[in-house]
Amino acid sequence: MLEMKNIAKIYRTEAIATHALRDFDLSVADGEFVTVTGPSGSGKTTFLNIAGLLEDPTDGTYKLDGEEVGQLNDRAKSRIRNEKIGFIFQSFNLIPDLDVTDNIDVPLRYRGLPGAERSKRIRDALEIVGLASRQHHLPSQLSGGQQQRVAIARALAGRPRFLLADEPTGNLDSEMASQVIALLDDINAQGTTIIMVTHDMSLAGHGGREVRLLDGRLASPDDAETLAATGTGV
Amino acid sequence: MPDLEIRPILGTMRRNPVGAILIALQVAFTLGVVANSLFIINDRIGLINRPTGFDIDNIVTVQSTLLDDPADKLQQVRTDIEALEAIPGVIAATSVTQLPLSNSGSGTELFASADPNAPEVNGARFTMTETGLDAMGLTLAEGRWFREDEIKLPSTYGDPINVVIVTRVMADALFPDGNALGATVYDHLRRPVTLIGIVEHMQGSWISWQHLDNNIFTPQVPMQRFARYVIRTEPGSLDQVMSQVEPTLAATEPRRIVQRLRPYSEIRDRTYTEHRAMAIMLGVVSVLLIIVTAVGIVGLVSFVVRQRTRQIGTRRAIGAQRLHIVRYFLVENWLMTTGGAIVGMALAFGVNYWLANLFSLPRLDPWYLPAGLVILWLVGLLSVFAPARRAARISPAIATRGAAL
Repeated sequence: MLEMKNIAKIYRTEAIATHALRDFDLSVADGEFVTVTGPSGSGKTTFLNIAGLLEDPTDGTYKLDGEEVGQLNDRAKSRIRNEKIGFIFQSFNLIPDLDVTDNIDVPLRYRGLPGAERSKRIRDALEIVGLASRQHHLPSQLSGGQQQRVAIARALAGRPRFLLADEPTGNLDSEMASQVIALLDDINAQGTTIIMVTHDMSLAGHGGREVRLLDGRLASPDDAETLAATGTGV
Repeated sequence: MPDLEIRPILGTMRRNPVGAILIALQVAFTLGVVANSLFIINDRIGLINRPTGFDIDNIVTVQSTLLDDPADKLQQVRTDIEALEAIPGVIAATSVTQLPLSNSGSGTELFASADPNAPEVNGARFTMTETGLDAMGLTLAEGRWFREDEIKLPSTYGDPINVVIVTRVMADALFPDGNALGATVYDHLRRPVTLIGIVEHMQGSWISWQHLDNNIFTPQVPMQRFARYVIRTEPGSLDQVMSQVEPTLAATEPRRIVQRLRPYSEIRDRTYTEHRAMAIMLGVVSVLLIIVTAVGIVGLVSFVVRQRTRQIGTRRAIGAQRLHIVRYFLVENWLMTTGGAIVGMALAFGVNYWLANLFSLPRLDPWYLPAGLVILWLVGLLSVFAPARRAARISPAIATRGAAL
């Protein structure tokens, strides 16, 4: 269960204060697939960063599985990111000098799992994403879709309770994007909670529930005109 | 046991070898030079700090040349010594013909038997008076020192002598089975001399001579107008005594030139100037090389941190703690340093072989290699620590921003 209440995020410089999120409330139940949409600058990525403990909220409370996590220290947040959260990034964020196996192994090493357990998890994850035959390939030897599947395998190998996807199809052609979305559907069907931030309106509400952001807050029906004008209509 | 990520780090270095190779080569070169430098420095310091066997820090030396031939040179020397010993703070004074550690002087040889085939034992020859033992601060191991009636004014230093004293090393060289005290030894003309005393230890004149500790004492005073005196003072009285030496000698005989009044430590320092200069130069070169290596490591790691900013952010996003990031760079650098050090050890042997042939140095003690390795490990770890900490402070939120890794 993910629960945010009155979350605010303000980026301050000497000259200005930018309200990236304000009065933001959201609850995501276990096993949900939630898509978060909104125009550029609406606060999608800020929301994802806070949800993934990559950034601290300026205000509000954030509970993950009932535990207040917003103000934990860096070490505790790193541990939660490693054990409970899986990340899928728009640019895949694979480490270019490591082959597929070693890329998937990175978070498992941080968890301190023994070698045999890590190997099994890597094999299982590669089976799920259909890349078992590419385990010794470097990212540069894979297509964009394959790279994103490796990134998904990296996230899955940690067996996370929450999978946070940041525009996971943003850098893929439509065929590869479909494959990735189908894969996310399968993962969600296995019980993993997925929150997917996307700009792509064809994916809005894909998992059954859509959250729309506008100007750093949840969009209301009054915002329909604005959202329509930005191409992210109601 | 924490996971040090050694295999993936090695894989990364294999795919991006240039930086690692440059640092490894720099470390190899530095280790080769530093290990040899430490060895040579230690060798030189060891030479300089060898025990002299005499009270070097409390001795003043002075040289006197009479303007006229003295009526009785032996008496003149005795008068001078008595006057010098009367200076407050002086323990004893003696005349000598040459100074230990001065790199100049003369030597002679003694034989354990009159047999023409008996092996000769060489040593530096020091003529002293009955006050020589106290004036030098020597330790008499066996027998006795010269009596006043045994002191002669020779017409040449080849004049026959009745008694002789040698250092322990010289006695053992003459009589390996012991029993040197009281034995008859033979001078360079195979004339018999009685060995009446053994001095525990005294370094001789030529610091690079292999028989530096072989020394012979004979009961004579310097010939003709020249005399050199050694004056031993109470601890802390050196400066005060030095100020009195010249007026004291002038009072006993004004028609003389007094020269080279100096503390004995100055003679030793002058003799070892080259050794000290070599040690300092090698020390400076080593420190500079280590600084250059450290700067190279800081530069490379800083560059890599900038290059891998997003990668580091991604590692943080997927669970790396700050400790993991710091440790990654420390291990990566440790592997580079160790790789370079292994090459450097071979290089060190090569450099030593070359230096040993060029300067007739002893072979490198193998312990200097691990010592150099430890120094470079420490330099590497200290150098990498600041940029690694900067890397660890990279926000994990970098991972969700645009641009490729």
